Amino acid sequence: MSENIIDISHVSFKYKGSEEGLLNDTSLTVAKGETLLLTGASGSGKTTLIRLINGLIPHYYQGVLEGEVTVSGRDIGKAELYELAGVVGTVFQNPRSQFFSVDTDGEIVFGNENIGLDPKIILKRKEAIVSQMHIEKLLGRTLFELSGGEKQSIACASVSALLPEIILLDEPSSNLDQGAIAKLHDQIALWNMQGKTIVISEHRLWYLKDLVDRVIYMDSGKIAHEWKGAEFAAFDSRKIAELKLRPLTVSDVLSPACGSNCGLKDSCDKIGAMPDEADGIVLKDFFFSYHRKPYLFWKKSFNENDPDLSLCIQRLVLPKGAVIGVTGRNGTGKSTFLKCVCGLEKDCKGIIEDAGRTYKGKERLKLSYMVMQDVNHQLFTDSVESEVLLSMNEEDKGRCNEILDKLGILEFKDKHPMALSGGQKQRVAIASAMAADAKLMLFDEPTSGLDFLHMEKVAELLKSLARTGKTVLVATHDPELIELCCEYILCIENGKLGYIRKV
Amino acid sequence: MKLDPRTKLYMILIVSAVVLMSATSPFLWGVRILMTLIPVILLIIEKRYTSAFGFTFLYLVALVLTFAFLSEDSNSFFKTFLTGYSGIVVQFLPCLITAWYVVRTTKIGEFMSSMQKMHVPDGITIALAVVMRFFPTIKEEYSSISDAMKMRGISFGGGNAAKMIEYRMIPLLFSCVNIGDELSAAAITRGLGGKVKRTSVEELRLRWADWLLITAFTSAAVIFVVFKYFL
Repeated sequence: MSENIIDISHVSFKYKGSEEGLLNDTSLTVAKGETLLLTGASGSGKTTLIRLINGLIPHYYQGVLEGEVTVSGRDIGKAELYELAGVVGTVFQNPRSQFFSVDTDGEIVFGNENIGLDPKIILKRKEAIVSQMHIEKLLGRTLFELSGGEKQSIACASVSALLPEIILLDEPSSNLDQGAIAKLHDQIALWNMQGKTIVISEHRLWYLKDLVDRVIYMDSGKIAHEWKGAEFAAFDSRKIAELKLRPLTVSDVLSPACGSNCGLKDSCDKIGAMPDEADGIVLKDFFFSYHRKPYLFWKKSFNENDPDLSLCIQRLVLPKGAVIGVTGRNGTGKSTFLKCVCGLEKDCKGIIEDAGRTYKGKERLKLSYMVMQDVNHQLFTDSVESEVLLSMNEEDKGRCNEILDKLGILEFKDKHPMALSGGQKQRVAIASAMAADAKLMLFDEPTSGLDFLHMEKVAELLKSLARTGKTVLVATHDPELIELCCEYILCIENGKLGYIRKV
Repeated sequence: MKLDPRTKLYMILIVSAVVLMSATSPFLWGVRILMTLIPVILLIIEKRYTSAFGFTFLYLVALVLTFAFLSEDSNSFFKTFLTGYSGIVVQFLPCLITAWYVVRTTKIGEFMSSMQKMHVPDGITIALAVVMRFFPTIKEEYSSISDAMKMRGISFGGGNAAKMIEYRMIPLLFSCVNIGDELSAAAITRGLGGKVKRTSVEELRLRWADWLLITAFTSAAVIFVVFKYFL
């Protein structure tokens, strides 16, 4: 019997100011060297468990804590957080907000400097980690320039450099593409081989099923089920669907053809699914580059022959009234494409034609509406109702209520948008898009970090938008979402149109 | 060229002190302009051409306006306005250029270790480091918020200045608070703020370039003060 390195015994926890407890009398032990997966719906207590193990509860997030947590022989309630730094390492969900330095080198050594190691040892550790993870090319760069996947690699390196016995990962793949997830998978496998104890909280299951020794299913603050890793990996899709989990296997809707070798040999008609111009929305001459800086007053103007284009789409016909998944690797131009289509990049002179009308320049802003990945950026007012009214040309309360009702958020009409949950905020943003009468709705990663239930809801919503005649473009890394709702896939490769095809 | 953060901080200190004393003779103006040129040259050495050029351009325009076209007794509304603005630019831009150079070229690790060498309390060091870390974040957040406003056609708040600021600031504050919260949590789990004495892999040493700049700035400041008050 191997010894237990984490021992959570009869723990209940309630965040300060909240009525309901997030954990109710939960007990869990993790053996040394074990890889444990925590899964379950959002709000079921996964993140709370992670925070209990790394000591953020009770030292950073305050609340009422009962029971005892022992990690590697230390009583978490009494230990100081900085003592735990060399014992427990945590990789967080959002790559943007977990680094402290602005340069990669500084970030990798940050933890070791904090615990006061000798600089010589720190540099040795850094070298070892860098060669182990093959991230030599990331050194000496500014963190703000890196893609999400690269940031997450640096986060992993920074945690590894402290040589902790226990590594916690809190939804680490939320913002990553397939390639970056594959790297994360290898990283976890490496930690496993080094004998680290690993606890992962995650909604995406397909990349983890060969790695985990044990799976814990959380439901409203309790451990509802517990399976052996192999047992869990063998579950059929019906069982997974019953548990409201994301699928264990995803079809290869995303992976082939999005690489160098096209997987659709027979039907490799790249633009086969493009409808006639008459039945679609036509995009013409979308060229854009980030690389060329404006000189002072010069206007940038791009054409197809420019060498360093970030986006180069000469002609594209989007099928009307359909949900179109926009895929492609991190940093390959999906977001640029969306921004150019809705007219946010002024220097992109693309033209949109719809139903005999031509939209250029600022007119594109009226035709389309983008729901951003971080919806917090687009909620401006102090109530849901005024948020929707703000988007209308003429205030029409009746229509506003109708829209809110359709989206199921009528009851929150007078609430402050920031007081709502993530999914509800997203609906408010969609409501403003509907109020603005946008024909083209763009979504940037609407399901990153969502559990299956919420993802289904989003998919349902996207489909219903398409049914009302809107054309929906959704940039996503979630193959699950594409399977749920997309009729077409549009793949962007290095800023160029990879292909567009029917699912 | 790598300068010691201490030199950079010293530069900021001297430049800030000098801009607070008004230049009263052409010679003093010369000293001040020379002091402004140093950070501009440093920016060029660091290959930050756009900002170096932009700052120089702004500074020159303001200088020319102040000297050639305007004087204290310009009395039309427009002229008064312009005197005020270009005066402020000429007076304080040197400070801004230096600060820009320092923020853009100092790594947070370097900064923290230099503060520690100067025996500044950790509380202050960490707070300042977080501020430095936050500039780029604020810029990123601000630009997405501007995008969102453009999309809804409320960039100008429907002509209402208060609304224009409100729409910008509320989402910005919310997201900065959120990011700040996550950032602190992540930093704390990696041992920031512990009682252990922090070490640093950044080796700090004053090289010839540092001494040269320190000498240059010190003498410029001394010359400025002597010529202004004692001669």
